[in-house]
Amino acid sequence: MKKILLLLICFFGLSAQAQDKGSMLIKNGTVLTVTKGTLPETDVLIKDGKIAQIAKNISAPQGVKVIDAKGLFVMPGIIDPHSHIALDAINEMTSPVTAEVAESDVVNPLQINIYHALAGGVTTIHALHGSANAIGGQCVTLKLRYGTFSLDAMRMEGAPRTIKFALGENPTRVHGGGSNIVPRTRMGVEFVIRKSFSDAKKYREDWDAYNKSKLVKGFRGAPPAYNLRLETLAEILKGNILIHCHSYRADEIMMLLNVCKDFGIKKITFQHANEGFKVAPELAAYGAMASVFSDWWAYKFEVYYSSAYNAAILTKNGVVTSVNSDDPEMMRHLYLEAGKTQKYGALTDEEALALITINPAKQMGIDTRTGSLEVGKDGDVVIFKNHPLSIYGVPQFTIVDGIVRFDKANDPADMRLWADPKQNLEEATFYEKGTDHCMDGTEFLFTSDKK
Amino acid sequence: MIQRIDNRFTGILFLAIGMFALRGAIAQDEKPVAPVGRSYALTHVNIIPSPGKKIEKGTVVMKDGLITAVGTNVSIPSDAIIIKADSMYVYAGFIDGLSRTGVTKPKDEPGQPRPKDPGNPPAERAGITPQNDVRNWLNPSEKSVEELRNLGFTVSQVVPYGHFLPGTSAVILLSGKSSDEMVLVDQSGLYSELTGAQFIYPNTVMAVMAKWRDLYRNAMLTKNYQAMYAANRNALLRPQNDRIQEAFYPVIDQKIPVVFKAEGLLETQRVLTLKRDLGFSLTMGDLREGFLIMDKIKSSGAKLFLSLDLPDEGKKDDKKPKDKKDSVKTGTKPKTALDLEKEGLEKRKKESIARLTAQAAEFSKAGMVFGFSVLTAKTKDIPANLRRMIAAGLTEEAALTALTTAPAKLLGLDDRLGTIENGKIANLVVSDKPYFNEKAKVRYVFVDGNFYQLESKSPAKPDGKTVAKGNWSYTTETPNGSNNGKLTIKDDNGNLSGIIINSMGKETELKEVQLSGNTLSFTFEFSMGGNTQKVEVSVKIDGDTFEGTLSPGKFGNFPMKGTRDPK
Repeated sequence: MKKILLLLICFFGLSAQAQDKGSMLIKNGTVLTVTKGTLPETDVLIKDGKIAQIAKNISAPQGVKVIDAKGLFVMPGIIDPHSHIALDAINEMTSPVTAEVAESDVVNPLQINIYHALAGGVTTIHALHGSANAIGGQCVTLKLRYGTFSLDAMRMEGAPRTIKFALGENPTRVHGGGSNIVPRTRMGVEFVIRKSFSDAKKYREDWDAYNKSKLVKGFRGAPPAYNLRLETLAEILKGNILIHCHSYRADEIMMLLNVCKDFGIKKITFQHANEGFKVAPELAAYGAMASVFSDWWAYKFEVYYSSAYNAAILTKNGVVTSVNSDDPEMMRHLYLEAGKTQKYGALTDEEALALITINPAKQMGIDTRTGSLEVGKDGDVVIFKNHPLSIYGVPQFTIVDGIVRFDKANDPADMRLWADPKQNLEEATFYEKGTDHCMDGTEFLFTSDKK
Repeated sequence: MIQRIDNRFTGILFLAIGMFALRGAIAQDEKPVAPVGRSYALTHVNIIPSPGKKIEKGTVVMKDGLITAVGTNVSIPSDAIIIKADSMYVYAGFIDGLSRTGVTKPKDEPGQPRPKDPGNPPAERAGITPQNDVRNWLNPSEKSVEELRNLGFTVSQVVPYGHFLPGTSAVILLSGKSSDEMVLVDQSGLYSELTGAQFIYPNTVMAVMAKWRDLYRNAMLTKNYQAMYAANRNALLRPQNDRIQEAFYPVIDQKIPVVFKAEGLLETQRVLTLKRDLGFSLTMGDLREGFLIMDKIKSSGAKLFLSLDLPDEGKKDDKKPKDKKDSVKTGTKPKTALDLEKEGLEKRKKESIARLTAQAAEFSKAGMVFGFSVLTAKTKDIPANLRRMIAAGLTEEAALTALTTAPAKLLGLDDRLGTIENGKIANLVVSDKPYFNEKAKVRYVFVDGNFYQLESKSPAKPDGKTVAKGNWSYTTETPNGSNNGKLTIKDDNGNLSGIIINSMGKETELKEVQLSGNTLSFTFEFSMGGNTQKVEVSVKIDGDTFEGTLSPGKFGNFPMKGTRDPK
């Protein structure tokens, strides 16, 4: 059976069915809805990729696959709000502002990491631009429809646009240290962001004026120059693009909150935010959100001060908080990362699960579609053996849009979609190099040979 | 934010071995000009006037570069030079849809400093020169012209060197004494590659795509405004001249397509994304993995030229273990899990190679129209690659179609090229056996009515002695892109030594330099940030070129090629 599945993938691809939606009935599981409590011995019916019914004793419609989840735990697909997998380029590090570049252009649906993530129960990721630039590129929300060769089929259709910002040491050492241009300091980073917003505002005004005068009969005149970078920044000001900002220190978080306030920007999520707990009430008051590591810090100077209680403190202060991986390995056990908040901060099961489901969905603007098990939402489901927050929890099935994309009992050794004939055998399966780094592509700046 | 020393180090590594270098000007061979005469008759020949048709023992008459008569009952003009081609086969001259045949590679300018603002470099540094015209670099005495013509190719769509937006393409005849004489269609398309500049904007594919949109949309606006200005210039700001924007105008008007190199599965889709966003008409060349997204390509309506390059067929001596010890072991011991895993991985590789080889067959079966491109194919492998494609299911008729009538149509030249018919340009290839026969040899080629006779070469004499000594220029392909550099090998009574020079002009002493047979191997080390990495190199020398791999330990193996510098 394994062989046949693999052969099918090899020879026909799943591209035709990639955007297809599946139907299935998951019977008698302990359903962890996250938003509507825990339902023992309950069935979940997915029809054409959407959750159609959650109830006891649903009878399977004809021809619909049934998964017996008796003794198993059924939860919403895990969402990783900070990842760099499935991308062919991460940093356009040549300029401190690159709002015009978009990760959606460089999605790589072939990376084996995607399948590994599915094995950890992840169904949706926020694939981010790196943190080399004060204003980096636009990010892309992907559904892990592993099996497709189509770059478009990976994208979660209708997900809001998002963009990566970065504060602190990364942009200052790349551009100030590496290229000897602004920003060299944290003040410089603030200047770059404020100037970009001001330029975008002026750009929008010029275009609005031009478009208005164009309506006058007999109008003659030159249009302003088109600029995709300013176009994109103007969309942030309009609220059409959500900011996700790489940040660590409390002071810089407050700085960006002030900038947002000045420019009327409401939607922002602070990524990492290791000192977020220091300004949790301020974040909550602004409606800003935070996406953090469970217990990871001190890997560089600006992130020396942190706490494993960060997620819990933020949560208790009313900040919509998520836990992210920023790493293909950690992505495979985000449920354990969420579980750590029960040791450090005594979050409830629902609070802890929300960190990797409904909360990241809110941060990515997709909470009406994913993040909890509710009728009408996408059929993105993980079925665990043992409770997902227990150290014994192991994903058995990962389902995206009602289609099983990972099945632990049917897990061939070589799940690559395409075997590159030029690749060495030794590199074939396990590890994708250079695809998982915030600072990917900037290394050359930090060598003595940079000139 | 994650940092791992390994990856930082990899980047440094590629930079350290990354090089820009002078490429020696290629010596141009002065070939005797083919017999001049403008009237020919090819007699007693099996004519394949178009794919699937055949005229036995026919005659083809040509005059002043045009075909004037084809058939069995044809009178031969008195001034015609008669070429007896008894039992030979004549086909319409082959057409290549994308290459740099006859295009001189501009000299690299080494040691250019990184611009002060790498985010806003001069357009030329960024690779944005769409106003350039490949005709400026056309040279009929480039070796590539003769090499490709000797296979029966008579026409190429050629593009300038460079990346991103190097300039406009031209359709050329593989004949002529000057650039202008070669050109059949100038500015046939606007050429582009999704390749960024090194360490300056646009560096990544995503920035290249963003810049593409920015340039195109700006050009549209400027074009419209120029039209308004032209209609009534009074009291309007004068639009500025901008050759970069103007280069897009014929594309915006749908007068010419954008010709994109679109090799891999993802590159192909990214090109299609740009087409979808901007709406230009599109020609894709050098396609290799299109079969994985056939429907997407089909619905795009893009014109297609499939790569004539194929991956190596893989090792054929799999069954022979490398040394006797292993053979004893494998003979007695059952296969380990590792053996089985390796076998499985090897099998998948072979399946991939088989599918890549069958791309043309799959396209043909799906009813898609396509030609071929030789851009990245090794010229000498082309006939064998065509046979491999045929063995993988492409019919000979479909193969011939893709070499003649289909590309003629795709290039809009089917009134003049692609078949042997009265009035068409006299482009012909004559082989002693049917062309796709393994033993077939091309005997004559006509391009634009010019006659080329191929001497049947005796196989090159193995002179037995490989010389490693000397100065070489090399290129490596690493994840950070393609890099050039210099290599000097010294020979002191059989004791080899040498140095390798990187882009910064940094010299590194070579160690363990050895020549065994035609294999040159050496190692070198470099230190960076407290790490020392040993790099192993092994290349096979073939006269004045070499090919092999560069292996910086666990970072993998990367292809390395070189040519001997002219003395």
